Amino acid sequence: MSVDVAERETPPSGPPETTRRRHRVLAPPVTGQEIVLIGVLAALWAILAFATPAFFTPSSIQPLVASVAPIALIGIGMTVVIITGGIDVSVGAAIAVCSVITAKLILVQAGQSLPVALLVSIVVGGLLGLLNGVLIAYGRVHAIIITFGTANIFLWISLKIFNSSTVNNIPDTLAPLGNGAAGRTLGIPNSFVITVVLAAMAWFYLRHTAGGRHFYAIGGDQLAAQLAGVKVRQRILAAYLLTGLLVGLASTFVVAQGSNLGQNVGNGKELAVIAAVVIGGTSITGGRGSVLGTVLGALLVQTVASGVTQLGWRSELSDLFVGVAIIIAVGADLIRERARSKR
Amino acid sequence: MAADERPDVLSEDLMTTASTGDGTAGGSAPLAQDQRSGEAHLERASGTATAEPRTTRLHMSDIAKRFGAVRAIRHADMTVDVGRVLAVVGENGAGKSTLIKILSGAVIADTGTITYEGRQVSIRSTSDAMALGIATVYQEPQLFRELTVTENIFMGREIRKGGRIDWPAQTQKVVDLLALLELPPRYATAVVGDLSIAEQQQVSIAKALAGDANILILDEPSAILTDAEIEVLFRVVRRLTESGVSVIYISHRLDELFRIAHDVLVMRDGRTIGTYPIEELSVRKVVELMVGGILTDTKHERKIDPETQPRLELAGLGRRGEYQDVNVVVRPGEIVGLFGLVGSGVSEIADSIYGIDHADSGQILLDGRSVAPRSPLHAQRLGIGLLPADRKQQGMFSFQSIMFNISVGHLTLLSKLRVWVDRVRERKVAQDMITRLAVKTPSENQPIGAMSGGNAQKVVLARQLVERPDVLVLAEPTQGVDVGAKEEIHRIIHELADAGTAVLVVTSDLPEAIRISDRLQVVRNGTTTVEFGPNATQVDVLAAAAGDVDGHDGRAKGAA
Amino acid sequence: MTVPTLSEPEATTPDEQSGAPSPERTESVPARILRALLTQRIVLLAVLVVAVVVYFILLGANGYLTANYDFDYMSAALINAVPLALLGFAELIVILSGRGGIDLSVGAIVSLAGMIFGFAYGQWGWPLWLAILITMVVGAALGLVNGILVAYIGFPALIATLATYYAYKSLAVVINNQRPISTRPIQNLYDSTARSVELPLIGSWIPNVPKGIFLFLLPTLVVVWLLLAHTTYGRRAYAIGTNDVAARWSAIGVRPTRAAAYTLSGAISGLVAVVTVGQFASARPDAGVSGNGMALPAITIAVLGGVAITGGIGRVSGIVLATLLIVWMNAGIRLAFEGNAGPQNQLLALGVLLVFAALLNGFALRRYGGAG
Repeated sequence: MSVDVAERETPPSGPPETTRRRHRVLAPPVTGQEIVLIGVLAALWAILAFATPAFFTPSSIQPLVASVAPIALIGIGMTVVIITGGIDVSVGAAIAVCSVITAKLILVQAGQSLPVALLVSIVVGGLLGLLNGVLIAYGRVHAIIITFGTANIFLWISLKIFNSSTVNNIPDTLAPLGNGAAGRTLGIPNSFVITVVLAAMAWFYLRHTAGGRHFYAIGGDQLAAQLAGVKVRQRILAAYLLTGLLVGLASTFVVAQGSNLGQNVGNGKELAVIAAVVIGGTSITGGRGSVLGTVLGALLVQTVASGVTQLGWRSELSDLFVGVAIIIAVGADLIRERARSKR
Repeated sequence: MAADERPDVLSEDLMTTASTGDGTAGGSAPLAQDQRSGEAHLERASGTATAEPRTTRLHMSDIAKRFGAVRAIRHADMTVDVGRVLAVVGENGAGKSTLIKILSGAVIADTGTITYEGRQVSIRSTSDAMALGIATVYQEPQLFRELTVTENIFMGREIRKGGRIDWPAQTQKVVDLLALLELPPRYATAVVGDLSIAEQQQVSIAKALAGDANILILDEPSAILTDAEIEVLFRVVRRLTESGVSVIYISHRLDELFRIAHDVLVMRDGRTIGTYPIEELSVRKVVELMVGGILTDTKHERKIDPETQPRLELAGLGRRGEYQDVNVVVRPGEIVGLFGLVGSGVSEIADSIYGIDHADSGQILLDGRSVAPRSPLHAQRLGIGLLPADRKQQGMFSFQSIMFNISVGHLTLLSKLRVWVDRVRERKVAQDMITRLAVKTPSENQPIGAMSGGNAQKVVLARQLVERPDVLVLAEPTQGVDVGAKEEIHRIIHELADAGTAVLVVTSDLPEAIRISDRLQVVRNGTTTVEFGPNATQVDVLAAAAGDVDGHDGRAKGAA
Repeated sequence: MTVPTLSEPEATTPDEQSGAPSPERTESVPARILRALLTQRIVLLAVLVVAVVVYFILLGANGYLTANYDFDYMSAALINAVPLALLGFAELIVILSGRGGIDLSVGAIVSLAGMIFGFAYGQWGWPLWLAILITMVVGAALGLVNGILVAYIGFPALIATLATYYAYKSLAVVINNQRPISTRPIQNLYDSTARSVELPLIGSWIPNVPKGIFLFLLPTLVVVWLLLAHTTYGRRAYAIGTNDVAARWSAIGVRPTRAAAYTLSGAISGLVAVVTVGQFASARPDAGVSGNGMALPAITIAVLGGVAITGGIGRVSGIVLATLLIVWMNAGIRLAFEGNAGPQNQLLALGVLLVFAALLNGFALRRYGGAG
């Protein structure tokens, strides 16, 4: 056939031996944004270590790392939610619910053990997340509005349980999850270890399972995902449910951090989580993101907060830096996107 | 590739060969590639005629479909055979899109039966179609831009190994598919958003093939491909048919059909005229079948003094990657048509006149003065109006009222001190427009989103007419518009020209282009080519636009 | 992305009709009422306001309330309506402008601009009108930052205003070292701006009305209403919110219009700063961000008031009615429950209302093909 003689554009595909060579199977595990974050974090730590010798002491690093834990943990769920193109502004209020139930009902009043408290907190969080998930996946309403509404409802629930008073004298049942010596193994706070482990699992799930990739598809183009056979509604529900479960777990970390629990627990935490996710490189429009970035983002935010305190500056200045960090992180992302689409 | 070397069309050449009728390659250099595929066709043709029996894979009969009051398909039959390429051709509105949509499950036929490998089936959804092995590759790649090629291909049907995705297995399959499409293995892990649009289309094809398609529908695939890429595509198609896949190929580029198709299904006015083996056809013949009898329209004769200074002139206009060396002249009171098929670059030219994009070479002259519209606002100030091609995306403010839609383009004009909207004037203007353009509506407050295509188009057109423009560019003015409104819009265009506006109609609707233009220029491959006078025939114009360009009409060489 | 279309659409086939039933089909009166309720947000809100007020009046008449839910009380409660409705207008303008428009930073602008006002009026001794002017200008400048980030650089509004929320919030605290400003002029502001007064002429027949309604709310209401309904800017804002691609093709400057929306939101927030300082008789650095902040209730008001989160739809009347509904409902709840249960139940009512309103939007959209 004359066609075979025609000049070929590209070399023919290799013989079987070539394809057995390890192809890179996926996009690289660490994106540009994350590399930059690691660099910034490293630089920041270096600067802080230089400016305040106290920075690299355990008594300063440990609380920092422990404070990262709840934000990063919830951030895992928030990352998935944002990847699907949604958002959840009710997590702060959900923290309030889970923590007050755990602290007041389970520990103070019922004197239960750590496993029980853990289970209850996670289940409660899951129920809250389930509510969000059902309303958003099946109600077909914009996530931001629904979660604004459920935030109020959750806050009401928490205030009702608080009954206008701080919860005091919380037993130290949850100490293994807290900031103190009991909460550390080999000097590293357990809460952080748990967070990192769960983050690694989430990272793996998002990268290497069909269900994980489906989240990205939904965020990229929900209709196309549906046409491809992705179970869109179930996935969306799962994202919010996951966030709720993680809120439940994170709340135990919060409770463990002190013997008192004030009514304003969790206030504004949703914004801190969203900030961490966004700084970490997840796109707010969905379809793109990683849990690694979120953990790094949370680390960055907390490092800034800790650094500001260490340097003796006003603690509110850390908010300013967070704001600037968001602009720079998302701005860099925007620039990269524009460069890519021009190609 | 030899295809690049095809000589540019010169009007005279085309005219002479067109009038010759048989169009076999005259003096122009024979093109090696075409010759080869011509021979290939000959081989295939003879092979088919004598040896290979045809096996019908799918048969659609007595299909009819109406949308509201309009019958998109009056009666259609289609037979898809194993291992053959069926080209489906037809003018805009002939019904071929609907027919294909019925096949791919996006639309459900009103009547008719579909049999697949002998047994009757019903296709009521895209998943039904996919279950039968019918895969469609659309012009707009439906891909996830943030994910890799492998992930896109396997979305929803991932290969798993114990819970996790089996990347090596998936990648292997993808590499094999890519090889079929002559793409290198590293594309398997490329992020789709990083690929060019042509590569994305190839990925779409790979995706369709990954689903073990045995009927592959390609919708205008060559519109966005370079000649080299088209070659690759054709090789892929041939490989597919050799392995038994049926391919349905929709295209306006008739010359291509002679390189790739076995049979051609022609549709006209909602009916399938017939299916013909490619050996029996030539480009002209296909065009004649598509167009039907000679249209005797009473043409509105307009006398334009050729000495009048042009109001609008495009001189050597070019924009890298989209069009080049475009020369158009429009005199006041004249209607000039620009006809080009999908992908010809014709709509991009319109965008540049209006300031949406900017040309990088050549000039736009307004009454002899060189201008460079930087934005639609600037163009408007220069006296240029433009009716956008995509009504829904670019023209309509869908839940706003008619009055809003008309006045939104002229807020400073319809206001006091440029700030306070003069509602009285606005209302009056809207009412005047409704009357003048015969918009069917109870009031100017009706939301435009609830109106029919024709009425909505009139409203969007009205917006352009509020400040009588010196130059009015109309892009696809009657797309998605019913016949009655189409007539009315054409009448309005004539009135505008009679009143002195220089009108440029950019359209891919052939009958419209011919009916409405005093002069008609064909745009092909990004440049203006042949110009026709008021007596052009549809066949000539379409032939010029579709491929009868280099002196031969694509008929298989051996059959001459 | 929408359902894929083939290479060219049917040239002679008109667009398929949407699922909306034709209005000529005769509807029974109850069906028509239902449709009005579901699609015309103003109608629904008006009905709800009346229902809520009647409900609490009845409750009061039957002795379930700790105090009288009468017109005096309702009028006094309006003091809360002033900042709420004003920020509702701010969110209205921003959300209306489309492309995911939202402003999370309004509360922080209130705090920061409030401190500026505190300096200008409370410490530097500027005349009141000048202090108010400068506060609004500062607010506008802060809003312009949002506008540039969103309209010119292309940040998603949620992100940009989240970032500025953080930044402005911290600046408000740092600027005066976390101390509020409560000098004498500021303290006197309550009398001059917030107190309820008896209206001239008709005042003996109607209850006293908080001054803020007349000094701030009504003028702003009129200005915003005129702006949106009668000026060319308003038209442009609706246009870019409805379809900013078509707006571009209609020779509208999309970016300046959108940036201006955020600037206006900032200016209004500056005015709210003045109101808040007057109400509390003190310029507090956390004025707009304490508790849950002011952005959330403002956005709630906007959504309740019928503003479409996707842009292009929203009216001043909706904001006003939604504010009245919330304020009078909260006022009633405060009387219906003892102690802290009141404010708590307000939260619940707000949350439930919001979810309900959003679901209603979705339902009405699917059933009737569009909200009025």
